[in-house]
Amino acid sequence: MEYEKCYVFKPEDSRPVKRRKVEPQGLQSSWNLRKEAYQEAWKAQQDRIDERLRTINATTINGILDFLEEAASNATEIRIPTGLILAGPNSALRTSIAAQISSHSDTTRRRSYIQISSSSGSNLKSLLKTIIQKATSRAVEDDEDELDDQPASRKGGPKLLNYDLELLHLHVQERRIEQVVIAIEDPEACDGELLSELIELFSYWQDRIPFVLFFNIATSVEFLQQRLSKTAIKHLDGRVFDAAVSSDEVEQVFDALTTSDTSLWIGSNLSTMILDRQSDYIQGIESLVQAARYAYMSHFYANAVSISLSPSLALKDVTAQYLEALRNLPSFRTFARQLLDNGDPGRLRDLLDRDDKAFEFAQNSVREGKEALAEILEATEVVRSLQITIPNTTASSKSRMYVQAMSGKLAGSPMLRTLLLTLRKAPSDTAINVANALLERKTPRDLIDELSPIVREIEALIKDQDDKAQPLRSEEDVKNSTLRTTVIAQKVELSKQKSALSKQDAAYTTIIRRLSDVLETYFAEKLVNPKDLTLHEIFLYDLKSPFREVFTPRPRHAVERALAAPHDYLDCDCCGPDHGDGDDATLASTQPSTAVLYQLYLESGNMINASDLWQAFQAVVGDSQDEQQVMAQFQRGLAEMRYLGFVKNTRKRVDHVAKVAWRGL
Amino acid sequence: MPKRRKTEEDVEDEDPTPRKTRRSAKDDERPSSPAQTPSSRKSILKNTPTKGGLLRSVEATPSSLRKVLFSTPNDRKDVVEEDNEETPTNTRNDRSARRKSQRTLQKQIAETEDSDEEQDERDEAIAQAILGDDEDEEVEDAMDVDPPSAPDTPSKTGRPRGRPKGKRRERTPSPPPDLPPHELYFFQNRAGANKTSSNTLPSHLLLNHEDYFAQMKDYKDPHEPDMARLKQLHKRSFDQWIFELEEGFNLCLYGYGSKRNLIMDFAKHFYVHSEKPPQVVIVNGYAPGLTIRDVLTTLASVILPKNSKLPAQPNALLDLLKTSISTPVILMIHSLDHPNLRKAQAQSILASLASHPKVSLLASCDTPNFPLLWDISLSSQFNFLYHDTTTFDPYTAEIEVVQDVNALLGRSRRTLGGKDGVGYVLKSLPENARNLFRILVAEQLALAVDGEEGFGIAMDSDAEDEGILGVENEDDIGMEQDTPSRRKKGGGRPPKKKKEPAPKPVHAPAVGVEYRTLYHKAVEEFVCSSEVNFRTLLKEFHDHQMIESRKDALGTERLLVPFRREELEAILEELV
Repeated sequence: MEYEKCYVFKPEDSRPVKRRKVEPQGLQSSWNLRKEAYQEAWKAQQDRIDERLRTINATTINGILDFLEEAASNATEIRIPTGLILAGPNSALRTSIAAQISSHSDTTRRRSYIQISSSSGSNLKSLLKTIIQKATSRAVEDDEDELDDQPASRKGGPKLLNYDLELLHLHVQERRIEQVVIAIEDPEACDGELLSELIELFSYWQDRIPFVLFFNIATSVEFLQQRLSKTAIKHLDGRVFDAAVSSDEVEQVFDALTTSDTSLWIGSNLSTMILDRQSDYIQGIESLVQAARYAYMSHFYANAVSISLSPSLALKDVTAQYLEALRNLPSFRTFARQLLDNGDPGRLRDLLDRDDKAFEFAQNSVREGKEALAEILEATEVVRSLQITIPNTTASSKSRMYVQAMSGKLAGSPMLRTLLLTLRKAPSDTAINVANALLERKTPRDLIDELSPIVREIEALIKDQDDKAQPLRSEEDVKNSTLRTTVIAQKVELSKQKSALSKQDAAYTTIIRRLSDVLETYFAEKLVNPKDLTLHEIFLYDLKSPFREVFTPRPRHAVERALAAPHDYLDCDCCGPDHGDGDDATLASTQPSTAVLYQLYLESGNMINASDLWQAFQAVVGDSQDEQQVMAQFQRGLAEMRYLGFVKNTRKRVDHVAKVAWRGL
Repeated sequence: MPKRRKTEEDVEDEDPTPRKTRRSAKDDERPSSPAQTPSSRKSILKNTPTKGGLLRSVEATPSSLRKVLFSTPNDRKDVVEEDNEETPTNTRNDRSARRKSQRTLQKQIAETEDSDEEQDERDEAIAQAILGDDEDEEVEDAMDVDPPSAPDTPSKTGRPRGRPKGKRRERTPSPPPDLPPHELYFFQNRAGANKTSSNTLPSHLLLNHEDYFAQMKDYKDPHEPDMARLKQLHKRSFDQWIFELEEGFNLCLYGYGSKRNLIMDFAKHFYVHSEKPPQVVIVNGYAPGLTIRDVLTTLASVILPKNSKLPAQPNALLDLLKTSISTPVILMIHSLDHPNLRKAQAQSILASLASHPKVSLLASCDTPNFPLLWDISLSSQFNFLYHDTTTFDPYTAEIEVVQDVNALLGRSRRTLGGKDGVGYVLKSLPENARNLFRILVAEQLALAVDGEEGFGIAMDSDAEDEGILGVENEDDIGMEQDTPSRRKKGGGRPPKKKKEPAPKPVHAPAVGVEYRTLYHKAVEEFVCSSEVNFRTLLKEFHDHQMIESRKDALGTERLLVPFRREELEAILEELV
């Protein structure tokens, strides 16, 4: 079978293989349960993401639909109505707007949607052919009982060529189609002249076929305009739609991923990696979703205790190994230590000895942990709302805030400290804004309860204020102190002097201090390090490892390493690095022949004399062996090097090969 | 490093201009006194305001600059290339385009007068001073690596700053540490820095198919248990792969070693362990002549009802397939990055297939740079999860070892298919034809022997080849362009045997057998009765490219069998 081109796989023995249903042993036995849990968890997540994505460019789509409607109702017959959709540079990765429109459109009007791209045809003929084919074939699918062959050929007339727009015309007439919408997916990649010709041709048919054009523009309208001929542009009646969403899209999806009812939380390291990858390379939003999905998959697949995330888990479902694993979790150990320190060995004994207690404990910890995480998330929102309302501070993005919070560094971060300091200095109008913004959030309950009296006090103060034109000032505001320079004994002394504060200002100062204290204690309390939560291993996933290897592989490095240091992979006794004294450049006769050749190859310049290479190879591998045998190895190695694309033949010199790949680039 | 930089700067301050001389001086100095301190070297520099003398002494011995490749094995076994080992140093040319243009400019001035080097040097120094290429000198310095044999102390590397122009420089096999990738490339790719010997690989050393496979059959890899362990490691992730495939990802396996067996094992595993085995379509991407159409038709045989009419265009077929897939299909492609499938169209079709929710793709990639095949939209369509599955398995199915090596070394592919191929063809031909071929080969051999004796040229087996084939004109080489013409151009014969520069144009031994002579011989031996008959037989040979015909200087037609002598002898042996 190995020399056939392609075939359908059938297991070798035709006799049905005795289905050796290997029951997974140990922890892996709960895999089916975990799989279900995964499916449940991810489905909820996926739904949330889909929901977000659907709403993201709903306005643009509605705008475009209105435009279509308008074009249909007052057809001009002179110029082709054209939608210029600015889709941004990563438009190729998303389902195009045009496709979304065709799926959104209502059925009141009969429209025919045709999407073409630069690959649809390289000349006018083939492009027209594709367009006509797409337009007519779609209709055939709709109602198949019609004439299946050439439905639009004129009765009696000569058979039309398959690129004649007359065909489309007939089709339009036959179906009473009101609009033929042609979406050009990548006008940048199309030949400008071809596009111009196409537009001109369409305009000649505009009186018979009601065309509407859509350009999915990745660069700019000006660029498109430059590429089109003047006559073509004259025939267009364009309108621009902005559909560019990129960073905002990422934020939205990430936000959907980290809502408070998430079952699995993604830790800071992994989120940083995912987000970095997203911004470093232009990736479609899909790649972010897939990355998150893979994180879920890895967690549920490889972590046996993840079973606790299943909401319907009962004690009878779990095995003894599971509980044992649970009791060995590092965070459980810390918890046990705490129990002992607190002098509660009885509870610890219960957890260790009684399965039901342990199980219950796990379920509770998971629930509490998730609540704590939700509170962290809420706290970040509070921070953000402070940032928004306090002037002269920039609001960090949600995702960045999330990453910071998950790393447990937000609580003592300089950013937060400055924020609270600024608040202390803020005059009363700002303070009232801030407080009201927090109150409007309605959550979290306890914070609101503490805030509302403060707000009332401030309001009362403002009401009693003498001078309504000036807001109340805080004592700590720099504007309230003046710098005074005095020269004493030829030294300049700087001294701060607090300007006299009115009584109301003093009262306000105490209140604003209280406000900031309340917030500070709130943050300190809520913004805990997620990794300090008990049993965080269950609901928090923060491993870089499979993500990095699986999404950003380094194949070149892998091949080079395999060849330069085969011991790393083979772990054999014979070619370990201790044979030489270097770390990687150890040639050993025991290494696979290709590896030996590769290392010799690394030493060479860009031309390699095959004869010398052979002699060197022979010298390394050893003359003790039969020359023919060594030659066979040599040939195999050389052929593999060629196959892997390290060498190619050269005509410059006899019996030389050219080096084409350099290491470590 | 900082220390070194400092010393450099010191030197710079003292003596701003003649940079290269310093280098040359130092280079000359080095072998004798390897442990010089920077200060002492500085004094040398001051003492050599006239660079000419030193320079010339360097320039005068170009032979010693020969580079020995593969010095490591050389150290162990002295058998390799004894004649090339005097000095491991080497001229190192400049690499930057600007310097190159400078050099060409200077060359124009200095071309006629070789002794004008001083002038040349000065020009260059001035140009350099003007251009003030300080910034790239830093990199230069970083690349100035000391000979590996005598690792220097940092103090010692405090060499005068500046780039030695066209001076000797150590060529080290291992680059200095911490070079940025692009510099690493230029380091590894220094032009002109490597002189290779002109030895040729004696052709009898290369194994032909039979011998190769015989040897391979006998060979037992000492690493077999390790490879098995490695494979077992990969096998443990089979269940994980199934899960990933189920979740709509596609898998891409990379790493050194053939992944064919692993994938086939996975296919079996998958088949056994899934409740309802899906259709599994295997594509051998390496199979010669595979086209994307083959893949699509095989898929169609699974997806579409039998005897359905398939569209001719791959894209149309793809559309049809994508609309009609109803049951899950797993597509396993060995060597997705094989040249067969490297065309943009093939990759985009496969990506489009892979993005279909009912199609799962498991592909293996062999080359190290395969991700370059896919632009962002393709790779997002593929939606690959990558797994490193280095197996160290030999690429037995993927590579035609003997053929590839021959192609790599520029030996005619036919030569190898040659002897065996000729055997097959002859077997299928009538007795007469075989006899005619035997006569031709015998005559050709006889002529070659005559030629040797007649002209008294001692030829080794390779030169022999030239004796038979090498005289042909470039114009009429036709199919045979690989070997002979190369031979001629390559020029450099190994100096191992005494060899007179044979005045070929005059005394060229007759190439091939004269047409008339062969005809007469054939008639004599009752191989054919008429010229028409004779021509028919020859045509058969010609069609199989077993003979070539060409005109010699006098315009007489000559026929020859385009093989090396030993192969001719082997053929003759088989025929008699």
